[in-house]
Amino acid sequence: MHSIVCEDVWMVYRSMFSEKVALSGVDLKIPKNKIFGLLGPNGAGKTTLISLMATLLRQTKGRIEVLGYDAIKDLKEIRKRINIASGNPNLIWSLTVYENLRYYSLLYGLNDRKVVEQLIKEFELEEFRNVEFNRLSTGNKQKLILARAFVNDPELVFLDEPTKGLDPPVAKRLREKIQSLQKDLGITVVLTTHYMSEAEMLCDRIAFINRGKIVAEGTKEELKRMLKMRDKITIEVDAKVPEMKLDGVFMVERDGNLLSFYVDSAESRLWDLAKEVAKFGRIKNISVKEVDLEDVFNELAK
Amino acid sequence: MNLRNEVYKTLGFTYRNFIITKRNFFTLFETLFWPVIGLLSVGLMGAYLNLEENYLAFILIGAVTLSVLQVSQLDVAYVLLFDIWSKSLRYTFVTPISIFNMLFGAWLFGALRGFIAFLILLICSEFLFDLNLLIQPFGVLLFLFGIFLSAMIIGTLTCSLLLIFGYRAEVAAWTLTAIFMLLCGIYYPITLLPSGVREIAYMIPLTHFLEFYRSFYNFPASSDNPALMGFLLSFVLLFFLFLILIWALDRARRKGTITQFSE
Ligand SMILES: Nc1ncnc2c1ncn2[C@@H]1O[C@H](COP(=O)(O)OP(=O)(O)O)[C@@H](O)[C@H]1O
Ligand SMILES: [Mg+2]
Repeated sequence: MHSIVCEDVWMVYRSMFSEKVALSGVDLKIPKNKIFGLLGPNGAGKTTLISLMATLLRQTKGRIEVLGYDAIKDLKEIRKRINIASGNPNLIWSLTVYENLRYYSLLYGLNDRKVVEQLIKEFELEEFRNVEFNRLSTGNKQKLILARAFVNDPELVFLDEPTKGLDPPVAKRLREKIQSLQKDLGITVVLTTHYMSEAEMLCDRIAFINRGKIVAEGTKEELKRMLKMRDKITIEVDAKVPEMKLDGVFMVERDGNLLSFYVDSAESRLWDLAKEVAKFGRIKNISVKEVDLEDVFNELAK
Repeated sequence: MNLRNEVYKTLGFTYRNFIITKRNFFTLFETLFWPVIGLLSVGLMGAYLNLEENYLAFILIGAVTLSVLQVSQLDVAYVLLFDIWSKSLRYTFVTPISIFNMLFGAWLFGALRGFIAFLILLICSEFLFDLNLLIQPFGVLLFLFGIFLSAMIIGTLTCSLLLIFGYRAEVAAWTLTAIFMLLCGIYYPITLLPSGVREIAYMIPLTHFLEFYRSFYNFPASSDNPALMGFLLSFVLLFFLFLILIWALDRARRKGTITQFSE
């Protein structure tokens, strides 16, 4: 049983003068009671996808099922059971920590001050209980935003770049908090990030998203294999080189006389590779470049 | 639908408007300062012109209506604006509330503020101008309810415009009341308006509520039962405005307005 199922989901932002395709045919299954990561560069469509799943947007085409409910027809059923927190920490400025939490718990139809007090304690905000939102530090704002996401005891929580803009030690503590909350409550967490390391540390499964498409999806172990492509060795030869199989080479790109090899490590593979290629022709040029994540995404997208 | 849950959801918005008002000196100011200034200046003008008592009532009713409407509509109009200004719209809309919880909750607080403003003005006109605005208490309550419905109409319209046109529509919160006032005969009978405009005025509930209040002081009304007319028009208008708002909200989900207002 999956917590979220997306089938051929498209999102097109239309305005009077322009049209922006933010998602094009996303298929995705998110398992229950795990931390699922959506990893991608800025503008990839992460916020769009997470907002669709959280019913804040309505897809142009396709089907989204959240906790067994349809994201167009059963809005309320979904909303009761989910919550969201974003790395842009914005809540009503002039409400205090307590008032913000109390306000949102009322919006869930709950009139229980104990729940609010418990959250304040759980998220170590006691000291700031009566401080207005705009007077809090970024770290405490982020804590409050996260605390707010638990007022309705959700089964599923969306976190949109939760550690954005935080100092590394604060970000680290927040990550640990997310991890322990997920474990203790047994909930599903879907989070977006553009930090590879964050996804690696937190997520059981990761989907790469780029230019509105899911490019790869799998467990850390499955993805590790792809991410071993660290370097790109480009060799120019004056003859045609046949297909060949070499250790440590994940992918070969051909562009006329240019051969590009994606390898785990240029240092240890370059010599063997050059020797092998030299059997078929004269080498005119060799260059080595580090592969960045986006290269991998793009390669996978083809 | 659990009734108790719905009540809490609605009161959530009342609570929020209450806190924001409590904290913001200027919104408190709006409840007290401008209404009293309005009443004083109009009342003094009346005294200078040596108006008969019922004509003084005529213009003071105008000043009172303007203030009470202004004060109570702001709460409804602001209900979305607070979230838009704070960029927190997504956190409100991700909860299982309906737009009616939102409007109604804010409206309750607006009505409370409007009621307080009215009481203050009632006392002021009694002591400063020796004029009793409460000669028909039950009628006055009906009139107030009518004004609060008009506040809901203006607030709902503002919310729709905000969702459709974005920040640019912010100005609607202030201008709509002014336009309503001009059309509804705030300090004059609508018979003074040129035909064409007069017909539009006739379609606006506020016109009839003003005529209803003024009929206590023997001014003629354009219909036999101005209160009934006002309520009928209000409910018809609100029905259509609610439909427009529901459409605007769905449109906002398709266009990404809600997430845009949250970044
Ligand atoms: N409300 C919107 N209206 C128009 N275009 C949008 C809107 N929101 C996002 N976009 C565009 O859609 C693309 C994906 O954006 P987004 O989902 O925010 O990406 P990410 O969160 O991965 O950075 C971007 O090109 C962005 O400019
Ligand atoms: Mg984003």
